[in-house]
Amino acid sequence: MTPDDPHDAVVVGSGAGGAMAAWMLAKAGASVLMLEAGRNYSPDESPMLNMAMDAPLRGVGTPDKEFGFYDATVDGGWNMPGEPYTMAEGSEFMWWRSRMLGGRTNHWARNSFRMGEYDFKPKTRDGLGEDWPVTYEDMAPWYDRTEKLVGVYGSNDGLENHPNSGPGVLQPPPKFRVWETFLKAGGDALNIPVVAARRAILTKKIDERSPCYWASACGRGCSIGAAFQTTTSFIPWAQATGKLTIATGAMVYEVLLDANGKATGVRYIDKATGAHKEAKGRVVVLAASTGETARILLNSQVAGRSEGLANSSGQVGRNLMDTVGSSVSAYFPQLEGRPRYNEDGAMGLHAYIPFWDYKRIQSGEVDTPRGYHVEIGGSFGDPGMGVGGGLDGYGSSLRADVKRRYGSRIGFTQRGEMIPNANSFCSIDTNTKDRFGIPVLKFNFAWSDHELKQVTHFQKSMKELIDKLGGTLVSEPLDPSKAISKGGEIIHEVGTARMGADARSSVTNQFGKTWDVDNLYITDGSVFASKAHKNPTITIMALAMRSSDNIVTRLRTGEL
Amino acid sequence: MTDMKTLVTIDRRVTLKWLMGALAVGQLAACGDGAKGLSWAELEAIKATGVGKDPDLINPSVPWPLTLTAAELEIATDLVDLILPAEGDNPAPSKVGVPAFINEWVSAPYPDQHKDRVLIVNGLAWLDEESKVRNGVPFIRAEASAQKLILDDIAFKDKVKAGLEKPAEFFGRARSLTLGAYYTTREGWADIGYIGNQPGTGDYPGPTPEAAAHIKGIIEAMGLKYTPA
Ligand SMILES: Cc1cc2nc3c(=O)[nH]c(=O)nc-3n(C[C@H](O)[C@H](O)[C@H](O)COP(=O)(O)OP(=O)(O)OC[C@H]3O[C@@H](n4cnc5c(N)ncnc54)[C@H](O)[C@@H]3O)c2cc1C
Ligand code: SF4
Repeated sequence: MTPDDPHDAVVVGSGAGGAMAAWMLAKAGASVLMLEAGRNYSPDESPMLNMAMDAPLRGVGTPDKEFGFYDATVDGGWNMPGEPYTMAEGSEFMWWRSRMLGGRTNHWARNSFRMGEYDFKPKTRDGLGEDWPVTYEDMAPWYDRTEKLVGVYGSNDGLENHPNSGPGVLQPPPKFRVWETFLKAGGDALNIPVVAARRAILTKKIDERSPCYWASACGRGCSIGAAFQTTTSFIPWAQATGKLTIATGAMVYEVLLDANGKATGVRYIDKATGAHKEAKGRVVVLAASTGETARILLNSQVAGRSEGLANSSGQVGRNLMDTVGSSVSAYFPQLEGRPRYNEDGAMGLHAYIPFWDYKRIQSGEVDTPRGYHVEIGGSFGDPGMGVGGGLDGYGSSLRADVKRRYGSRIGFTQRGEMIPNANSFCSIDTNTKDRFGIPVLKFNFAWSDHELKQVTHFQKSMKELIDKLGGTLVSEPLDPSKAISKGGEIIHEVGTARMGADARSSVTNQFGKTWDVDNLYITDGSVFASKAHKNPTITIMALAMRSSDNIVTRLRTGEL
Repeated sequence: MTDMKTLVTIDRRVTLKWLMGALAVGQLAACGDGAKGLSWAELEAIKATGVGKDPDLINPSVPWPLTLTAAELEIATDLVDLILPAEGDNPAPSKVGVPAFINEWVSAPYPDQHKDRVLIVNGLAWLDEESKVRNGVPFIRAEASAQKLILDDIAFKDKVKAGLEKPAEFFGRARSLTLGAYYTTREGWADIGYIGNQPGTGDYPGPTPEAAAHIKGIIEAMGLKYTPA
């Protein structure tokens, strides 16, 4: 089939949420048209074992390639030429996008922590934010299926609000490295858990994907298929069914409705020719990413209404959330001059610190309502352009200092829960259009006191851990208002079309189906009702799988 | 050897001379830095094309023209080799392409690199001027010991000679670029002991027995429990 033919389903976006939906639907026998704004891409383009030395400027980030030369991002980053967004006065928001098949799954860090029972019912626990229309028990089987399919390494530690996976679901985690074992010793003494991280990386072969070969940064894309990305999994699998048609360079800007208010397809710009085209389907699935999906809804014209599509609740664009981020780092004299070995491993977390202080939140001893986890780094890696940081002098003493300090610094990064607030949302900026003539998004963003207090908790706790291990902070932590990340900076933006229990207070039901349009679904992060500290993508995929299953059932019964 | 008093006088002269030279070169930034009020010439931003948003990642190339003069590169070469002299099997930075890298870096059409370019280009010229005044010869003609005397005034953060804050800032960047460039080469990896970027099969082996025994000793000596995972 071609993009001009009517399909059973039109899926917008090929990232985590879009590709999961496309594969689930194609596997069930539905014909699927995937529209992707970016260019075609496969990780065969990944410079797997290139050295920093082979790249311009040793691969450091530049305004062209902000996360470094070898980062897989195509035609994207914090700034996209010709595709701006704006910010309300006094607001700062950072929006990382890419324009490529597979979206940001080509270079995400693959950290995959499932949400727990507290995370789905936060309002019930502390009265803040919103509850989800699903419980953890509802989601557990979908997490199991998603993790098994995707391939996630990790361990089941039975910790509070960090649920175990089902039997046989997880892949074995890689061994801790020396500095991780060192941290664990300190953590054990303070009752701060340091446990195996969970990442969407294979340590055992499944299907045609190879296990990790312990080299090459995952952000470059993984051409051997070990690090999960949709371009080595869902997309080729869906193509293999013969049911998937892909149109790249297809910038969708509007959902089409018939006289009865049912979606008939979408309108897009074919970037190669500039032509405006229509794609038709029985069901429309939006997964263009949190901001972009809200933009398409808000830009869609609905006869007799001014608020855009699927927005009778007024919640489209509202409840914009990102992860709370801040960091500290320390030198540990005890780690100086330690014996060398290959610490590349899975080029990311083998261990992490899950949130541990729920009891003291409950008792009121801790004044921040929600938790965070800590991602840690400290391996002997390619020294990189930062290797001289903090060093002094010159000559042979300098050479000795470089070697002594190598591998003795550990970085601690907070990843925390944000509670939705009325000051954080996106809307259409009617004064600004992108190079295609599509009105752009305008962001409002503000943290609240809850998040700032959480930063303080993190700073204090890490200081205790660092002290216990005899480390010295590289620099004193900043005031939380300065230490906290900017909105969007952690690239976990979610929530602009939240799911909920009723049409009055939410945009979709628990299956991502919009309340207002019966055959319009959303399967990206915009449906999040809260932003637990857990990185969102594994949950985006589990929800997308569950919602797609609902679509399949309804296609089969002829409801759609 | 010059005594302290003459050095101070000479320094003031250098400053003046340098200032005049800088004025002759172009617009002088008005903002002072520190008590001595010395400012370095701003340079025009480079307008070459960068790598763009979708470069070939497997076969990278540097699209911008290199801008350092042969004379500047000669000074840079001496400087990087003073920063990290060859030692045993470990070659000097100039033997592994560090001066060429600095040229690539300061010639790049990006804001961070532009800031460094202003420091490096002015700083290399400063080294030359300083050497001419102190030693009567350009930097590269001076004896290594005389070159080091200049560096001693700018290379140690707690001992920067008053009035030489800007040259010290230049030196800090030069050191950082030299170390970064050097330790990302195979020779640098061998020296520092980075043995990664080697694909392997099977499970990740984890620490060697030696590395494990070492950390076990450390953890237990701190009165903590060693529980490898
Ligand atoms: C460096 C980095 C590290 C990260 N690390 C982690 C991590 O460790 N764990 C984690 O959980 N998350 C991580 N994330 C976040 C993760 O990438 C996202 O949560 C995830 O990719 C979101 O999936 P998505 O399907 O909503 O959007 P995307 O993956 O962004 O896919 C959206 C797709 O839609 C396309 N599109 C956009 N607009 C249109 C349009 N108008 N028409 C047609 N197509 C359109 C885009 O081009 C894109 O391909 C990271 C992100 C980055 C950048
Ligand atoms: S570390 Fe492993 S998973 Fe990551 S890119 Fe390399 S081979 Fe792939």
